Amino acid sequence: MTDATQTAVLAEGVWKIFNEGQSGEVTALQDIDMTVQTGEFVSLIGPSGCGKSTLLRVIADLTEATRGEMTVAGVTPHEARQKQLYGMAFQQAALFEWRTVRRNVELPLELMGWSKDKRRERALELLEMVQLSDFAEHRPWQLSGGMQQRVAIARSLAVDPPLLLMDEPFGALDEMTRERMQNELLRIRRETGKSIVFVTHSIPEAVYLSDRVVVMSPRPGRITDIVPVPLGADRDEDTRESDDFFHAVTAVREALRGRVGGAEARARIGEV
Amino acid sequence: MSSIATDDRPRRSSGLGRRLRNGGISLLWALAGIGIAVLMWELAKWLGTIMSMPFNTSDMTMPHVWTMIAAMGEPEVRGSDTTVLEAVISATLRSLLLAGGGFIIGAGVGLLLAVIMQRFLFMERGLLPFVIASQTVPLIALAPLIVGIGNRITIGPIEWNTTYSVMFIAAYLAFFPVSVGALRGLHAPTATALELMRSYAATPGQTLRKLRFPSSVPYLVPALKVSAAAAVVGTVVAEISTGVRGGIGRLLIEYARQITSQPAKVYVAVFGALAMGLIVAALVAALDVYLTRHLPKENSA
Repeated sequence: MTDATQTAVLAEGVWKIFNEGQSGEVTALQDIDMTVQTGEFVSLIGPSGCGKSTLLRVIADLTEATRGEMTVAGVTPHEARQKQLYGMAFQQAALFEWRTVRRNVELPLELMGWSKDKRRERALELLEMVQLSDFAEHRPWQLSGGMQQRVAIARSLAVDPPLLLMDEPFGALDEMTRERMQNELLRIRRETGKSIVFVTHSIPEAVYLSDRVVVMSPRPGRITDIVPVPLGADRDEDTRESDDFFHAVTAVREALRGRVGGAEARARIGEV
Repeated sequence: MSSIATDDRPRRSSGLGRRLRNGGISLLWALAGIGIAVLMWELAKWLGTIMSMPFNTSDMTMPHVWTMIAAMGEPEVRGSDTTVLEAVISATLRSLLLAGGGFIIGAGVGLLLAVIMQRFLFMERGLLPFVIASQTVPLIALAPLIVGIGNRITIGPIEWNTTYSVMFIAAYLAFFPVSVGALRGLHAPTATALELMRSYAATPGQTLRKLRFPSSVPYLVPALKVSAAAAVVGTVVAEISTGVRGGIGRLLIEYARQITSQPAKVYVAVFGALAMGLIVAALVAALDVYLTRHLPKENSA
């Protein structure tokens, strides 16, 4: 299902203005240029109100750009949504509590009219991937927060979309669970080769997961810097304690403080 | 969808055993309640014999409990084969049927209105005031009107009969709690759940079936309870005010007139009306258990 154009997301001069021309006009996104290559993991980071969630919602066609061009897997966001070219995960797992875990994962397939047997097979396959096979017939409310979020990730992968859009999916989890979930996500990414756009407000999380970190700043919401994270594809617990990781965290932190470049810290990545 | 645990262990589910045990305890309390009511009744009568009471405790207005039980076995009218109890049971069943019909029609209409109001904001704005106003019209004023209009209606081969008027009145009272409760329930899904459905490019119909209806259940169940009770009261009152024969409402009036000759008889009819309410309540409770069987059991209405 990979698109030939090799870009998962392409934003050119995207603006989002709420209440344009009225009192209370808010520029949520100002002139956003951004590319996410196929197979790339890109995080959007910034303080609240910087428009990172809005940008994700424009990509997902949950809201429309006021101006500019947005292309998702080679088509418009609207087409991408209609064709189910992306899967989405939110901060709340948003599982339907009256459905079993398995039938929650089946939901998008059901809406696309898959047959019962195929749905079941696919859901069980995905639950195995997120290591919840034993809980297929449980109800979501019998699961812990981390497990619920794994179900939500399995559900976002159900139709096998080339792109995953994640809006602070681990934001409500405790630190330990959160780090475990990050490892899970990297493993799933290695196994599936998805392109991922990930919204977060945690610097270490963004650095640990991403190939590039897009740093945004508020009022008006705009991209101030894009920090590459050359930590390689195989990251594990040791990565978190490496000097390169530390330097990358510093580079993102500097960028967030408005010191464009964070050049010094960036230069030190891979120095040793 | 809700709570977020900080540990990563699965939580325990609540068992059927606990529900049954709770059910048994409730039954014991209910029986104890009836026992206490009987004792208070007889106590009041006994006190009436030794001191002056603020109300009449004579056998005419307050017959002994055992007199009421004995009255059940007496023939309904002198020389007839049917006992009072049999007459009351058959009248109760008939009214139950009407109340049930009114409840189903009312709940159906209420649900339909809720769906329409949820789907179109202008319908909610336009319709809701009428829905609320409909319940401020006193039933006593409405009943003769409905019978009067109804009697002139003929739809093809079907001729309106007064029984339909009774069912209509029951439905008229029953639809309101359901429409208001269901409307709240249909609005209940979180913004995230709705966005999720939107990200799936789900149609409004799919969102309604897969998300809004199931989300509305916790709101719908209490509404159905109120609605069922309203249908029962509506049926009895409608039977009385329209003069329809064969139901418990009419029987109450008839037996009340015979209070001088057989004072205990009317109480048997009262028990019939009570039983009808309890049966309906039990049916709705069973529906509650069925509809909420997969939901967490922390809260019960």
